[in-house]
Amino acid sequence: MVVHKKIEILTKEYNAFVKITEDVKHAVKESGICDGVAFVITAHTTTGIAVNEGLECLESDIQSMMERLVPEDGEYVHGRFLHSYGAMAGNPTGHLKAHLTGNHCVFPIIDGKVKSGSAQDIYLCEYDGPQNREIMVTIIGE
Amino acid sequence: MKYPVIDMHVHPAFYETVCESEKQERFARDMYGLYKTGIFPEEVVFRQMECAGIDKAVLLPLDLTTVYQGVLGTNEQVKRLVGMYPDRFIGFASVDPHREDAEEVLREAFGRHRLSGLKLHPAKQRFYPMDDCMERIYSICEEYHKPIIFHSGMSAAPDALSKYAEPKLFEELAYLHPKLKFCLAHFGWPWIQETCMLMLKYPNVYADTALLYFDNAPEFYAQSFTVDMGRHWIDRSLRHQIMFGSDDPRLEMIRMKKAIEKLDMRQSTIELILGGNALEFLGMEE
Repeated sequence: MVVHKKIEILTKEYNAFVKITEDVKHAVKESGICDGVAFVITAHTTTGIAVNEGLECLESDIQSMMERLVPEDGEYVHGRFLHSYGAMAGNPTGHLKAHLTGNHCVFPIIDGKVKSGSAQDIYLCEYDGPQNREIMVTIIGE
Repeated sequence: MKYPVIDMHVHPAFYETVCESEKQERFARDMYGLYKTGIFPEEVVFRQMECAGIDKAVLLPLDLTTVYQGVLGTNEQVKRLVGMYPDRFIGFASVDPHREDAEEVLREAFGRHRLSGLKLHPAKQRFYPMDDCMERIYSICEEYHKPIIFHSGMSAAPDALSKYAEPKLFEELAYLHPKLKFCLAHFGWPWIQETCMLMLKYPNVYADTALLYFDNAPEFYAQSFTVDMGRHWIDRSLRHQIMFGSDDPRLEMIRMKKAIEKLDMRQSTIELILGGNALEFLGMEE
C-alpha cells in the first residue's frame, strides 16, 4: 500500500531550519501503515530536507557553513531575466544550497512508528523564504 | 532609522483578498507576464516585509478595462486591504484613462475610498502622457493633492511598448503642472539619464528604485547608479527625489532592500531613499 500525505509550512525567515519531525511522525501514524518506509520529499528547488541533531548550536554552524560555501554576494550566472517566469532569477544561493542539501530523506517504519535514532530530527531547510512550502510524505508498506 | 521604511512599488494582484478566482489568477499572470506566480495570502507578504525590514508597502492596482476588459485589483479591493491592515499598507488607485467614467472613478477613489495616490501605466493602458484624455486626470489629482506613480521605461510585461513611457514624454507634464508630484517608476530604465535630467530641472518629478533587468540587484544598481550616471549624482543632487520600490512580486523585497542599504552614499541619503522621500511624496511628513 502507498499513502501520500502533505505537510504545508509558511516559513518565517530568508534562511531557516524548520523541524518537521513531529509532522512526519503524525503523517505516518495517520497512514495506518505498520511496516515499511517513509519518504520525506520537498516540492521545491530552493529548499532541502536534512536529518541532523536538533540543536541550536548545530543549526547555527550549518548556517555559517552554507554562507561560507554559497555567499550572498558571490557571482552567479543564474542572476538573469528568466522569460519562462517573466521575472529575474534572484535566488541562485537558494538553488545552490538546496543542491547541497538534497530533496529528501527516508526512514523505516516498524510497528507503525518512524524508526529513528534518538538524536535524529528531520528539517525542512529554507533557503529562499519566507514562502509557503509543501513537503510530501510518501509511506510505502503494509 | 529616522523614517519608516516604505516600499513604494508593490503589486497586490496575486493577494488572496484581490485574486478571488482561477480566472483572475490567469488574467494577472497574462497581464504581468508573471507566468509562474500564483495566489498567495497576505501573511506571506507580511513575513517578507518583516524579513526585509519594510514597515509599509504602497499597493498599486491597475485598471485595464478598455484595453483588456479586466483589472489587476480594484480600487475597492485596495481600500479593503488598507482597512484590514492599516499599519502595513498604503493604497493607491488606478483608473483606465480611456474609460468614459474615468473622472467619476477617480473622484470616488480619492473622495470616498480616500486612496493616497494614482497608479498609471502608459504602456499597458496605451496612452501618451500628454494625450488629450489625460488633462482631466491630472486636474483631479491636483485638486485632491494626490501624487501619481507612472510606469516608465521598459516594461517586462507583454504587450507593453516602451514608446509610451519614455521619460522625456513626461517633461511637459512636469512643466505644466509644477504642483503635481509624480514618480517615474523603474527610474525610466534604460533612459535613466533622461530621468535624471527631469528630476534635476523639475522638483515635482521623482523616481523609484524598482529596476533590475540584468545581473543581481547590487550589480545592476552599481551599473545604473555609478556607470550609466555619475556616481555622485544621487547623493549630491537628487537625494530628495529617489524612493525605494521593490516591484514585488516580479522582484523580491528582501534582496532589493538589501541592495539599497549597500549603496555607496551617505547614510542620510539611504534613509531618505528608504522612507523620508516617500513620506514627503505622499504628503505624510509630520
